Amino acid sequence: MNTVSNAVLLAGNSPLYSELKILLESKGYSVLSFEQADEHKHEIRLAIEVNNLDLDIKKSTIKQMDMLLPANVPILTSSLAITATEAASWTEYSERVCGFGTFVPLIERSLIEVAPALQSTPLIVEQVKSFFDVLGKESEIVEDEVGLVFPRILSLIINEAAFAVMEGTATPEDIDIAMKKGTNYPYGPLEWGDRIGLDEVFAVVKGLHRDLAEERYRPAPLLRKLVLADRVGVRSGRGFYSYEKQEVYQP
Amino acid sequence: MTYAQVGVIGAGTMGAGIAFVCARQGHNVLLLDMNEAVLKKAQSYVASILAKDVSKGKITERQKEEIYERISPISDMQKLYGCDMVIEAVSERLELKKSIFSSLANICREDTLLLTNTSSISITEIAGGIKSPERIIGFHFFNPAPVMPLIEVIRGKKSSDENVEKAYQFAENLGKVPVLVNDTPGFIVNRVARPYYNEALRITGDQVASIEQIDTIMKKAGGFKMGPFELQDMIGIDINFATTESVYTNFFHEGRFKPSRIQQRMVQAGSLGRKSGEGFYEYSE
Repeated sequence: MNTVSNAVLLAGNSPLYSELKILLESKGYSVLSFEQADEHKHEIRLAIEVNNLDLDIKKSTIKQMDMLLPANVPILTSSLAITATEAASWTEYSERVCGFGTFVPLIERSLIEVAPALQSTPLIVEQVKSFFDVLGKESEIVEDEVGLVFPRILSLIINEAAFAVMEGTATPEDIDIAMKKGTNYPYGPLEWGDRIGLDEVFAVVKGLHRDLAEERYRPAPLLRKLVLADRVGVRSGRGFYSYEKQEVYQP
Repeated sequence: MTYAQVGVIGAGTMGAGIAFVCARQGHNVLLLDMNEAVLKKAQSYVASILAKDVSKGKITERQKEEIYERISPISDMQKLYGCDMVIEAVSERLELKKSIFSSLANICREDTLLLTNTSSISITEIAGGIKSPERIIGFHFFNPAPVMPLIEVIRGKKSSDENVEKAYQFAENLGKVPVLVNDTPGFIVNRVARPYYNEALRITGDQVASIEQIDTIMKKAGGFKMGPFELQDMIGIDINFATTESVYTNFFHEGRFKPSRIQQRMVQAGSLGRKSGEGFYEYSE
């Protein structure tokens, strides 16, 4: 048995990248970057692309995967900000592209949504489903639309909370308390956004606004500005809340 | 705070629940309703909660009697003159609420706090044109009031800081968790929760996923306790639709709150959720 035959090519700058890498390695996959992929390209069983906010980088990453890998290797792309169908349209072998989408932390997701592109073949979808089985995640097949179901609904809740903060309706703390105590949400929307990464949330809302072109999906200006200022939440030390690490002073 | 004299207006489920919450904390409550039968029903509702609390060992038989005795049913608003605070919990009709506050402004002492348990009407609008609007504050309980910990304390345009602070402290005194909100449509919860229902309806309307799939996904991928459709069935689809319509209208038709035609058809068909035996799901006896 060749362990390298369990190779997965993983690329992208979403916070999902590092969590997927850990999960894949814990299930016995060897995770390869583009640099390592070239010499092992015939051993790669699947490629996963996780870019959400920057669609130019996303496009070039997917094109690069499509050029590098044999035509039967599935390319799983994060369809949070764009449909899998559009991502597939960038490729030569579009029938092997399939969308999926979720947010970090993966440990809290017992189920992951899979959205086949219009071009995806049933065989590819089956392969993707069994891949998630191996990772210990249930999967649910939904139609291909930006943000799928959970990321789309949650992002719009966070977006609405961001509008409320921007307008001075209440403090972030009070908004979070209200949603936990008044309607039993597992987390307040703003602390939740900070944990997921506001760049990921913004990518979903912006993607919906771009594709569906409705006022309904207008991103909250405050959300956009926080992302531009790299205040994306826990990951960068600051979002709706501050997470600056206390400097330990040693005399 | 020492024990206060609290007036509660409207003895429906909300009013009765609020009266119970106040009495449980030791306050004396005058529960006002024009309808004798509604008052009787409110008293038996309070008695049933108390009986359950006794059987769970939360309170003693004697405490049960004491709490029950603290709630006095009345049908004459004039009797509220000595109250330290009055909580209005009648149905969501602006004119009714305005007429109540207009009477209270004359009946009650000048320092009586006047609280309204509205979920969808602007506090500023209720207080508009009424004598001493600075003491009219929103005080939004969640259903069921004895259980749900949150109270939204809503500052109307003319509410004074001092009275808002008093209302906030009163909420804490009741053992609740208060949050401060400026007077905006839907306040916090009914506004920020809109996409949970509305976007789920849109997603299923666009055939991206089925009702059952969306509920499963929101629970298993999202960690929500209930999916958006089972939750609508529990709340009442008509109630949920009315809340969305109200937020949408009061935001002057901002697209983010646009109601769903699917939900409207459910209401038109009388498929209101659990209470009508069917909604997005079927409920047998």
